Amino acid sequence: METVVVAGLNGLVVGASLALVAAGLALLFGVFGILNLAQGGYFMLGGYVVWLAIDHGQNFWLGVAAAAAAVGIGGGVVLLAMIWPVRDRPTALVLLATLALSLVLEQLASDFFGGDTKAIGAPLVARLPIGHTEYPVYDLVIVGLTAAILAGGFMLLKYAKYGVWIRAVAQNRELASILGIPIIRVYVLAFMVSSSLAALAGSLLVPLTGAYPTVGVDVTVNAFIVVIAGGLGNLRGAAAVAFLLGVVEAVGSIWVRAQAVQLGVFVLVILLLIVRSQGRYVLVRA
Amino acid sequence: MLEIHDLHCYYGRSHVVQGVSLAVGAGEAVGLVGRNGVGKTTTLRSIMGLVRGTRGKILFKNEDLSSVPTHARARRGLGFIPDEHAVFPGMTVEENIRAATLLLAGAGQRRSLDTVYELLPLLAERRHQPAGTLSGGEQKMLALARGLASRPELLLIDEPSEGLMPLNAELIANAIDRARSNGLSLLVVDSSFELLRTVCGRLYVMDQGTITGEHRLTELASSTDLVQTYLRANA
Repeated sequence: METVVVAGLNGLVVGASLALVAAGLALLFGVFGILNLAQGGYFMLGGYVVWLAIDHGQNFWLGVAAAAAAVGIGGGVVLLAMIWPVRDRPTALVLLATLALSLVLEQLASDFFGGDTKAIGAPLVARLPIGHTEYPVYDLVIVGLTAAILAGGFMLLKYAKYGVWIRAVAQNRELASILGIPIIRVYVLAFMVSSSLAALAGSLLVPLTGAYPTVGVDVTVNAFIVVIAGGLGNLRGAAAVAFLLGVVEAVGSIWVRAQAVQLGVFVLVILLLIVRSQGRYVLVRA
Repeated sequence: MLEIHDLHCYYGRSHVVQGVSLAVGAGEAVGLVGRNGVGKTTTLRSIMGLVRGTRGKILFKNEDLSSVPTHARARRGLGFIPDEHAVFPGMTVEENIRAATLLLAGAGQRRSLDTVYELLPLLAERRHQPAGTLSGGEQKMLALARGLASRPELLLIDEPSEGLMPLNAELIANAIDRARSNGLSLLVVDSSFELLRTVCGRLYVMDQGTITGEHRLTELASSTDLVQTYLRANA
């Protein structure tokens, strides 16, 4: 039982990081209709910003805030600037542009920081006893913070001016402009929030993963699975599937080899895609 | 309020609007009628800045709109209710209306919402229902409510009574008329004689991309040929 609880908590931590990255992906797909392959790059940058902050004698949490702000603003603007000229071109071209950005980010990180893993200690060292296991409190903080960020985000989307406008633009761009909604401003905001969410995930997770140039690759793959399974553009669905996937993988790995669980998840996603392509079922609603 | 001089619109090589000139005065309601495909909707869309290939002059409150983007036209007081895809289907009725009122100052938002609910009470009953689940007629009502809620000075409406049951068409005609009597200027494209007679004082007739006639309502009432050619006698 204790093993299952600990594995479940580990799954929630993985799910939390996935949920943040996937929520950003889903937001961008909803508003602009693109899948951003550079999201993992922003996850990686988030970790490096925290490492830089600590390396310069600053506080861990200041590093997290700096990562969210700097990568959010800078990353959002760079991504939009790259995508804008090819926005009306075939989707594959847009996808390639984000892939190119992802590769550039990885290479730059490798050049500036080296290929080694930068280890960063958790800002909280307290541990919670679960049976014979002492579970790190910081891991639970990650889950709590992620839940709070996602809940706050959903509330903003539901009630705040720009939240309502983001949803309006996502559903009908032309109608939104007819109502006086500043479409470009909404795009810029969506790109920044999306990038910021990835950086937040990367910065919160960096004590667990360390910072290295390709740290975002695995997260990106899993985040894409989550976004597809949750329903493209569906933030709530993506968040729910992220936590579910994290827990299923972690708990499932107690009895079955991790690779087999991952394979099972891939099969499930393929089945989901087949079902969705037939347009008969909506598995997760917005 | 609105003056259009020699407007031309193109979709690719197709010359859809071929030199339209018309005017709508402050507080005036004007109809635009014609057969399907003569360029009525394109004229409205180009006034709102939604058609890329246009030439000619569109003046709103004496300002040339040619370089003004769509959202900025809305903020200057121009409203447009399209015929199709006029609601956000995944948002509730109230969220649809709020998307438009959010441009207004704080207290004005609530007032505007209350006003349109009073005008179209059915929407108040359905306020928490997703717009995509409303019937066609209810979606038309919602689109009108949202158009009015943003408090434009001139509202362009495309086919407000199209496909509606007589009762819903009458509700919509009355709501538009009440808005007009409160000083709203209107340019309405529709083929319902009842609706136009209720709302408009003047009509332009359009054919093959150009304005071919202008009539006072009194002339229209007696002009059977015109009614039979371009309008449905019953809504």
